[in-house]
Amino acid sequence: MLKMSHLAKVYRTEVVETYALRDFNINVKEGEFVAVTGPSGSGKTTFLTIAGLLETFTGGEYHLDGVEVSKLDDNARSRIRNEKIGFIFQAFNLIPDLNVFDNVEVPLRYRGMKAAERKQRIMDALERVGLASRAKHYPAELSGGQQQRVAIARALAGSPRLLLADEPTGNLDTQMARGVMELLEEIHREGATIVMVTHDPELAARAQRNVHVIDGQVVDLAEDPRFHAASHLADTAS
Amino acid sequence: MEIRPILSTLRRHKVTATLVILEIALTCAIVCNAIFLIGQRLDHIDLPSGVAESELMQIIPVGIGKQADSHARATADLAALRQIPGVTGATMANQLPFGNQSWNSSIRLSPDQKLPSLNSTIYYGQDVVRIYGLDLIAGRNFQDDEYKWWDDTAGDDSLSPHVGIVTQALARKLFPNENPLGKTIWQGTNNIQIIGVVRTLTRPNLRDVESNGYSIIMPLRVTMGNFAGFVLRSRPQDRARVLDEAVATLRKQDPRRVFTEKRTYDEIRKKFFAGDRSMTVLLATVCAALLIVTALGIVGLGSFWVAQRRRQIGVRRALGARRIDIVRYFQTENFLLATIGIALGMVLAYGINLLLMVHYELPRLPFIYLPAGAALLWLLGQAAVLGPALRAASVPPVVATRG
Repeated sequence: MLKMSHLAKVYRTEVVETYALRDFNINVKEGEFVAVTGPSGSGKTTFLTIAGLLETFTGGEYHLDGVEVSKLDDNARSRIRNEKIGFIFQAFNLIPDLNVFDNVEVPLRYRGMKAAERKQRIMDALERVGLASRAKHYPAELSGGQQQRVAIARALAGSPRLLLADEPTGNLDTQMARGVMELLEEIHREGATIVMVTHDPELAARAQRNVHVIDGQVVDLAEDPRFHAASHLADTAS
Repeated sequence: MEIRPILSTLRRHKVTATLVILEIALTCAIVCNAIFLIGQRLDHIDLPSGVAESELMQIIPVGIGKQADSHARATADLAALRQIPGVTGATMANQLPFGNQSWNSSIRLSPDQKLPSLNSTIYYGQDVVRIYGLDLIAGRNFQDDEYKWWDDTAGDDSLSPHVGIVTQALARKLFPNENPLGKTIWQGTNNIQIIGVVRTLTRPNLRDVESNGYSIIMPLRVTMGNFAGFVLRSRPQDRARVLDEAVATLRKQDPRRVFTEKRTYDEIRKKFFAGDRSMTVLLATVCAALLIVTALGIVGLGSFWVAQRRRQIGVRRALGARRIDIVRYFQTENFLLATIGIALGMVLAYGINLLLMVHYELPRLPFIYLPAGAALLWLLGQAAVLGPALRAASVPPVVATRG
């Protein structure tokens, strides 16, 4: 479903080149639930933005659902984002001027879908996240957990092949976070492919597979000397 | 089209949206009326005189002291003027269209008619039809023996000529659907038989569209003592030289003369319509300023909304919006604002027009000005919002995750 090989992302200024990702390799199979973890600044979010075609990359290859995406133009990338990818953002990113129904409708409108089909999909998605009765409410009238559920409904309404979640519970309290996580697990059980970036080891543990990113690279924690050094110091201290 | 969600968004930004709508409405109302007024003024400025404008000149003399033997002097002056190379016609006449000096009279269809049928201007002068370059469309011109001196007839209508040439407008008004030739009209107690009809000879001072063309030409010679001026005709390119030579010739004929006017017909028309032209420029400037201010208002609001919605635009891009979708969103939003503003503006335009009709006797605003004004403001709005819309389209989708 998602395969990156030797991928690199370099941010260049006049005086310095910063590698956000370097020789980054990952392969997510269809139906997998993968948690991407790592310290702040390790490149997790950069990975997610590239995976979601929100940003371009500097080198390497990226195949999404069998398509090599580096040569795609802006319109083609928009179409793939719209049809194949569902985004769940840490800050929910609902449009405050639109009610719940209209928010969920946004990606469907860009697909040129007929109004009747849009309505059916929106109501199905809202039923699924338990917010059908709040369709006419505005984001400001909902709790954080409800807003994230609306964002999940928006991501699900278009039946994407891949769900990308960026710290989906980062702005929620424990109880709301648990609810959102259970919802993601339920969606995964129904067959969705999910890639979730998180800081939270507890959430990561609930995924099928964990991928750790350090200094812009995917690492095997068991063999990475930096991790060993850190864990050795921790053992000595204890 | 995202009309419903856009309207929903605008409802939540009522104050800014209302301000733009009111600005567009006010501009629409004022511009529709101003363009109408400009059109009216331009029509007025372009009003045909009926004379050979590019070939005529006028010299108005004022004599110093008693002007004795005025008939002989006028005859001698005209004979001398006709000798100037390039002069194709010279006469003394009481007035010219748009010349501001106007001789008018009430016209009746019978001597005992209590109220006149109309008021007409009366042109005097020898060979006016030919020298003015009038288009004689029916009947005949005056014969030499039909001319008399105006001051020989003054005060005694029975001595006045009993033939006249009228304009088509006057003939149609007095004798609709009839042949005016041979018909008799009355100027005071003088009966005038219509012997010819000219297509157009506009009055020296304008009144209203209908009566501007009511003119009668009488076979009366006039002199300097009758406040008449010299009217000369030549090829257009000879006019400047002919005018200078004519003044020199007239001074030579009688050094005790001053000339209050020495001008081509183009100058007469230009002076007559100077006020209209200034008003047209003023109105056009006001229109342009209003349109620029409105466009700047739209650009300002558009830029503000792009800055305010930067993250929202990034989210839309992340959810699959193409750049063109973002441009279209802002254009649709502007179109909706403009449409509401234009609808209000049309009502306001009619209101302003009613006020102008009541207080300034302007005609009703023709319907065509409303769709024309609407189209202008729609285009202006779309052009003004294009810059901010293109800036919005350049917001990258990654803004959704990084702000």
